[in-house]
Amino acid sequence: MMQKLSESVLDKFSMDFLRNQVLKNAYGNDDTVIAKRDPRILLIWYLFFGLVPWFVNDLPFLLGCFLLVMVTTVLAKVAGLVLLLFAVGVFTQTGYLLIATWIFGGDASAIAPLLILTLKVATISLASVTVFSGLDPDRLSNGLMWFGCPERLSFSISYAYRMLPMLMEEFQNVLLSYRLRGNPPAHETVRGKIKYLIYQIKIIIHAFYPLMLNTAKRSRTTVEALELKGYRYAAVNKEVRKMKLSSLKVTYDDMIFLAVSFLWVAVTIFISTMI
Amino acid sequence: MSMTKKGAATQSQKLMVFVLSMSLYGLATLFTELIPSFQVGIVEFSVEFFLFIPLTLSMLFDPLSAALGAATGELVFSEIMLGQFGGLGELEKFITVTIGVYIAGRLVKNPKNRAMVGAAAFVGTGVQLLMGTIVDILKVQFAVADFEAVAGLPESVFATEGFAFVNDLLFSGILFCLLPTLYLVPKLYGKIEPLLGMQPRTKETGLGQINVRTVIVCLISFACAIGAEMMAESGLSLIDWEAGWAGNGTAIAVGMIAAAIIAIILLGIMRKSAEPAGETK
Repeated sequence: MMQKLSESVLDKFSMDFLRNQVLKNAYGNDDTVIAKRDPRILLIWYLFFGLVPWFVNDLPFLLGCFLLVMVTTVLAKVAGLVLLLFAVGVFTQTGYLLIATWIFGGDASAIAPLLILTLKVATISLASVTVFSGLDPDRLSNGLMWFGCPERLSFSISYAYRMLPMLMEEFQNVLLSYRLRGNPPAHETVRGKIKYLIYQIKIIIHAFYPLMLNTAKRSRTTVEALELKGYRYAAVNKEVRKMKLSSLKVTYDDMIFLAVSFLWVAVTIFISTMI
Repeated sequence: MSMTKKGAATQSQKLMVFVLSMSLYGLATLFTELIPSFQVGIVEFSVEFFLFIPLTLSMLFDPLSAALGAATGELVFSEIMLGQFGGLGELEKFITVTIGVYIAGRLVKNPKNRAMVGAAAFVGTGVQLLMGTIVDILKVQFAVADFEAVAGLPESVFATEGFAFVNDLLFSGILFCLLPTLYLVPKLYGKIEPLLGMQPRTKETGLGQINVRTVIVCLISFACAIGAEMMAESGLSLIDWEAGWAGNGTAIAVGMIAAAIIAIILLGIMRKSAEPAGETK
C-alpha cells in the first residue's frame, strides 16, 4: 500500500509533469483577470503588498492583506505545483522555528509573534505568486524594463521561459541515456538503497558534464545571433526601448483594480483602529 | 583576433558565460526548489545542492560573469518562474551567491591544480553559507517584534542556524560542492573553452590573486545584503509613525474608504463611457 502510494507520488513528479506545470504557469493563463492588468500597475501593487507587511505588526491589517492576496491568487489561476511550493516554503521558513521554540522550552507565548511572522511571510509570498506567476513573461519583463531594471534581467526572464522546456528535455535525455548504459546496484536491502541513492546522485552530477558542453555550444549560438541583431547596442538605445514599451497601456480596469485593493486596505485599517 | 588585455574575455564572451551559467544553474535550482527540503529533526539542509555548476564555470571562465549569471539564473528560473519571489530576501541570496562563486573563481589560478580547485570550492561554499547564516539570524531577530521577550526563541535560532551551518558545510559542502567540482573542472578544462571561442585559463591568463580591493568590494556588497534585510529595522519607525495618528486613525480610515469608493464609482462610470470607443477599435 505504502509502496503504491510512494510510486504514484513519484510518478506525479516526473520530468514531463514538471515541464507541463512550468509551461502552464508561464503561458497557460493569459485570460485571467490578473494577466490582463498592466504590468506596471501590478508591480506597484506588488511593491505595496511585498514591502508593507514586513513593517506592520497589526494583526487585523495583516489578516486583511492576506485575504486580499489570497483572492488575487485564486483569480490568477496559479498552477497547483506553485501553490504546493508556497505551502512548503512558508512552513520551512517559520513552521520549523515554532517546533524548535517548543523544544527549547518556549510556551504558548511563542505562538503569537510566530503567527504574525507566518502571516507576513505568507502574504508576501502570495503577492509575488500573483504577480510573477499571473503575468506572462514578456509582459512582466516589459514592466520591469519600464521601471528601469537592467536590460539583462528582462532578457534573462524572456530567455529563461523560452529555453527551459528545451533544457529540461535535454537533461532528461542525457539522464535516460546514462540510465540505459548504467548498471544500478540492487536496492532491496537498506544498504543497497543507500548505494542506489548515491548512484542516482552520481548520475545526476555526471549528466551535467555533457549538458555543460551542449549548453556552452548553444549559448555561443544565442549570443552570436544576438550580436548579429545588435543586441548590446539596442539594449542601451533609448529609441529601441521606447518602441519596446509602447505596447503598455493603463486602462480603467487597471485603475479599478488598484482602487478596490486600496478600498480593502482602508477597510482593514478602519477595522484595526476600531478594535 | 588580437587580445586587448592578456586573457581578458571580450564583452560578447562574457555574455556567453553569463547565459551559460544562468541557464545551467537556473535549471538545477529549479529541481532543488521542487525537492522538498531534507529535514533531520529540526535541522534543515539549506545547502545549494548544485552550487558546483557555477563554481566549476567560474574557475574555467570569467568569474564575475559566471557568478552574476548563476545568481540571475536562480532568481529568474526558480524564484520568478515559480512565483517564489520573496522581495528583499532574494537580494540577500543574489549577493551571497555572487560573492561566494566569485571568490571561488578568483582563487583558482590554474584549473589543473586540483588542490587549489578543491580548496577554492570549499572556501566559496563556506563563504556563501556563512553569510547566509548571519543574515538569517539577523532576519529573525528583527522580523519578530519582541524577539528577546519570547522564551526560548533566541537560543533556538542561534542553535539551529549554527548547527545547520556546520552541518551544511561539512556534509553537503563536501559531498555536493567539493567532489563534483573536483570531477568536473579537470574534465571540462580545455574542452569547453573552445566551444565559446576562448583560450583555456592558465597561470598567465588568470585574473591574478585576490587583492584588498576585491575583499573590500565583497564586504561592501555583503553590507548591502544585510542592509536589505535590515529594512525591517527601519520598519520600527514606520510603526511609530502609525501610532502617531492612531488617535484619529478611525477618521482617516473612514476618509480613505470614502475616497476609494468614490474612485471606484468614478472609474466605473468613465469605463462605461469609454467602452463604445473601445468596441469600435
